[in-house]
Amino acid sequence: MRRFLFSVLLGLSIFAQAQIPSKPLTEDAVHDLAGLFSSSQRGELNDRLIALADTTTNRVVVVTVLDMGGMDASEFAYKLGESWGIGDAKFNNGIVILVKPKTEDSYGEVFIAVGYGLEGALPDATASMIVNREMVPHFQQGDIYGGVKAAVDIILPIIAGEYSAQEYEESGEGGLGAAVIVIVVFCLVLYFLSKRGKGSGSSGSRTSGGPTIITTPRSSGGFGGGSFGGGSFGGGGGFKGGFGGGSFGGGGAGAKW
Amino acid sequence: MKKNKVSTWVIVLAVVAVLFFWVKGVYNNMVTLDEEVQTAWSQVENVYQRRADLIPNLVNTVKGYAQHESSTLEGVVSARAKATQITVDPENLTPESLAKFQKAQGELSSALGKLLSITENYPDLKANENFLQLQAQLEGTENRITVERQKFNETAKGYNTTIRKFPNNILAGMFGFDKKAYFEAEEGSERAPEVVF
Repeated sequence: MRRFLFSVLLGLSIFAQAQIPSKPLTEDAVHDLAGLFSSSQRGELNDRLIALADTTTNRVVVVTVLDMGGMDASEFAYKLGESWGIGDAKFNNGIVILVKPKTEDSYGEVFIAVGYGLEGALPDATASMIVNREMVPHFQQGDIYGGVKAAVDIILPIIAGEYSAQEYEESGEGGLGAAVIVIVVFCLVLYFLSKRGKGSGSSGSRTSGGPTIITTPRSSGGFGGGSFGGGSFGGGGGFKGGFGGGSFGGGGAGAKW
Repeated sequence: MKKNKVSTWVIVLAVVAVLFFWVKGVYNNMVTLDEEVQTAWSQVENVYQRRADLIPNLVNTVKGYAQHESSTLEGVVSARAKATQITVDPENLTPESLAKFQKAQGELSSALGKLLSITENYPDLKANENFLQLQAQLEGTENRITVERQKFNETAKGYNTTIRKFPNNILAGMFGFDKKAYFEAEEGSERAPEVVF
């Protein structure tokens, strides 16, 4: 009875959202409904995103549309994510990257919608930074693919847990922020070395360079503070179904240009 | 005569058993749906709380750049204080209590909207990394509020439909399952502030 009611409700709600493209039959990661990418671009992006889904179960889907039926980009992206069920139902680890190109009489719009399970790995402020720093500059030049690719280059390592959102945010501040981190890390390394007595002194010398410095102490088994939970769910064996009923709660960020 | 009595008992027992399983099924179903509504409600309160938690930081950041806007800032602080005082018992989701909650949160939304509109006049503030982050978080939270409200309404609709249908409504009346209230759409006031680059 309940199940029946639920399916009726679901049916009604899908019917009410007629503007949302219906769930595709193929579980491709790139749905270029606006025709913005060349077939080789689409293939390359798709392969990378499918490879990600196979190794981490995280599912990133890129969708381009010409019309959002009068909805905000955010609303459109969540509804699409929900109705397609992007991500795993248990982990809710889906991401929708939605792009609507600029036209003569409308703004271009972009939104990265983040599933419940990835909100910790990719917080709104980071998503917003990726949109404004990586995507919009490319989009303003008319290079949609370049912007999407730049965002994917940042998002994939973050949600795979290889790189934290904090490291990304700090990478743009440059100068002062990085310097403070270097000093803090250096002091901590010195402190641990002095506690241990005869530690291996090699890690102390690696203080040049940018934010990659943060990974140094972690790999030497010290203090793994930077990583967020929820990013990696281990290498799932043979996970294929990317549209597994993942749910979206409104996380993410977007912009217009 | 004796045989007749036995068959009467069998019939009575069968009717009782059928009644029992029917009541059990309907009742447990209503309990499950009721729990789902309460879970959806707690999600709604979570996202509103999340917004309330962002505000002190936002107010402090804006204060550093826009001291002259103290009345707007105070408006946000007092609206936040009022809004966080009003909570709704999930067991008692009546239209009145929900309307009160929605009104207080709506006032906070409009106070925040005012605050964000005055920030347009302070280019230094708009360039502040911390402010930009807070703004992104606030927008994300407004989006979450919209989503969770919609989900709550959908869940409440499922529950209400079930308890009001015949013959479930008889049992719902007997066991005190009341209709849950919905969030009403608000014109414009619940929309996330727009940022155009």
